[in-house]
Amino acid sequence: MNCATKWSLGIAAIACVCWRFPLFHLVPLKTATAEKAAAAFDAAKAVETYWTNQLPAAIGQAVNADQLLTAIKADPTSAKKKFSRSLGMGESYLYFVAGSGRVVAVLDDEVSLAVTDGGTNPEISLQTGLIFGNALRDGLGGFNASDYPNSQDFNDLAAALNHLVETRVLPKLRGQAKVGANISFAGCAEVDDESTDLKPLKVIPLQTGAQ
Amino acid sequence: MNRLHCLAATLAAIWVSQILPMHAAESATAKAKIAVVVSTLNNPWFVVLGETAKARAVELGYDATIFDSQNDTAKEAAHFENLIAGGYKAVLFNPTDANGSIANVEKAKAAGVPVFCIDREINSTNAATAQMLSDSYSGCVKLGQLFVKTVGKEGEYAELLGIVGDNNTWNRSKGFHSVVDRFPGLKMAAQQSGEFDRAKGLEVMESILQAHPAIKGVFCGNDAMAMGAYQALVTAGKDKQVKVFGFDGADDVVKLIAEGKIVATGMQFPKKMAQQSAEFADQYLKGKRDFAQKIPVPVEIVTQENVGKYGEYGRKP
Repeated sequence: MNCATKWSLGIAAIACVCWRFPLFHLVPLKTATAEKAAAAFDAAKAVETYWTNQLPAAIGQAVNADQLLTAIKADPTSAKKKFSRSLGMGESYLYFVAGSGRVVAVLDDEVSLAVTDGGTNPEISLQTGLIFGNALRDGLGGFNASDYPNSQDFNDLAAALNHLVETRVLPKLRGQAKVGANISFAGCAEVDDESTDLKPLKVIPLQTGAQ
Repeated sequence: MNRLHCLAATLAAIWVSQILPMHAAESATAKAKIAVVVSTLNNPWFVVLGETAKARAVELGYDATIFDSQNDTAKEAAHFENLIAGGYKAVLFNPTDANGSIANVEKAKAAGVPVFCIDREINSTNAATAQMLSDSYSGCVKLGQLFVKTVGKEGEYAELLGIVGDNNTWNRSKGFHSVVDRFPGLKMAAQQSGEFDRAKGLEVMESILQAHPAIKGVFCGNDAMAMGAYQALVTAGKDKQVKVFGFDGADDVVKLIAEGKIVATGMQFPKKMAQQSAEFADQYLKGKRDFAQKIPVPVEIVTQENVGKYGEYGRKP
């Protein structure tokens, strides 16, 4: 076999290998962009799935509002130990609470409820303004920071939950909230530390209903 | 030859009976080494982080050495090569890059060296043994809420960004904007990088004030820039008009908050994170293995109302 033939066969063999096992792929930009978007974390979808499949059962596990407020009044430290959860290494803690009460005041950003029978003082303040922060994500206990390689995805969950509340829960609550009306609720409250005033307990509502 | 044989045998016997046990005893009493790898020592906040981690490791009975990555992932990689070869038993690690630093942590893990990330994360949940992460984004959400409450829902403001290539710069900016952008009456008149540097923050604030004299507030991505911005405002006679917000919890800003000159900062807890990382390393070396992967360390907002609770880089005991 002469030199030229050997070279030709060699090049043909390499060409076959490269065709069978390409060193790189050329992908249209649109396709590549679409694939990247599809692989990206979808916080809205994750939250929607949680809202539909897990939230109803989770609400069943929330502490009763009457029980919690009685415990806080008796001994806030003990109430914190028994009923709260906290995330990581901070001073703040959260309550996931459910109950019902009578509307005693309706303000721009809150609906105040008296939970105690015959009470007139606001004991629960349902927040009805723009919702920020991680109270819902962390108070529910359904999302674990360790499951998200990129913390921004974990933060996006909080934003998505807040958005769901603003768009689905608050419009309904504003319609129900008339002074004197009885309202059931479930929601989360974040407490910064022992110096936080818990009268009333500020709760971001996840679910409300007229009674 | 017989005498030589006898001499050799005698020396060997001495070596085996006397010298070898001495070396073994020395090894047994030699302290285990822990490496503290910090992204940069050119920033006092990271100096506190590194020094606190080292001090706690020493208290726990280890030899500890600080390695400065100088914000360079390649230097960081070289440190990891050296500390793995040098027999370090654990790494307390402040990454330079959330993605770029993963390979370094994986190398350490493959070599049986646990890595505990402090303050900054790597974008992986199965490389580091545990990660204690300061939640800059959420801290700046809280600052954003306070900003709107203090400055109002209408008017112009400025933002001083940190180093553009730093993840923390954008975490903080995004957290802040997730709030203020919901108020259409609030207009961002200027957004410029002060590079996390006091002198640069001063220079940038001066030029912003010339172009936008009516701003009501300035959000600074760290306290060094907040100090620079405040200095510029004092010189321009606008320190009462423009509300200043920082981030970190540096002592000089906390003092100005107490005096009512700066509105607020986000207190991170470098000492708490650093001490915990050393304690985790100690627990690991004593056999513990079940660590939570990502441990958020919430940022607390320091204002004039609650400043009495806070000391340098943390809460007062």
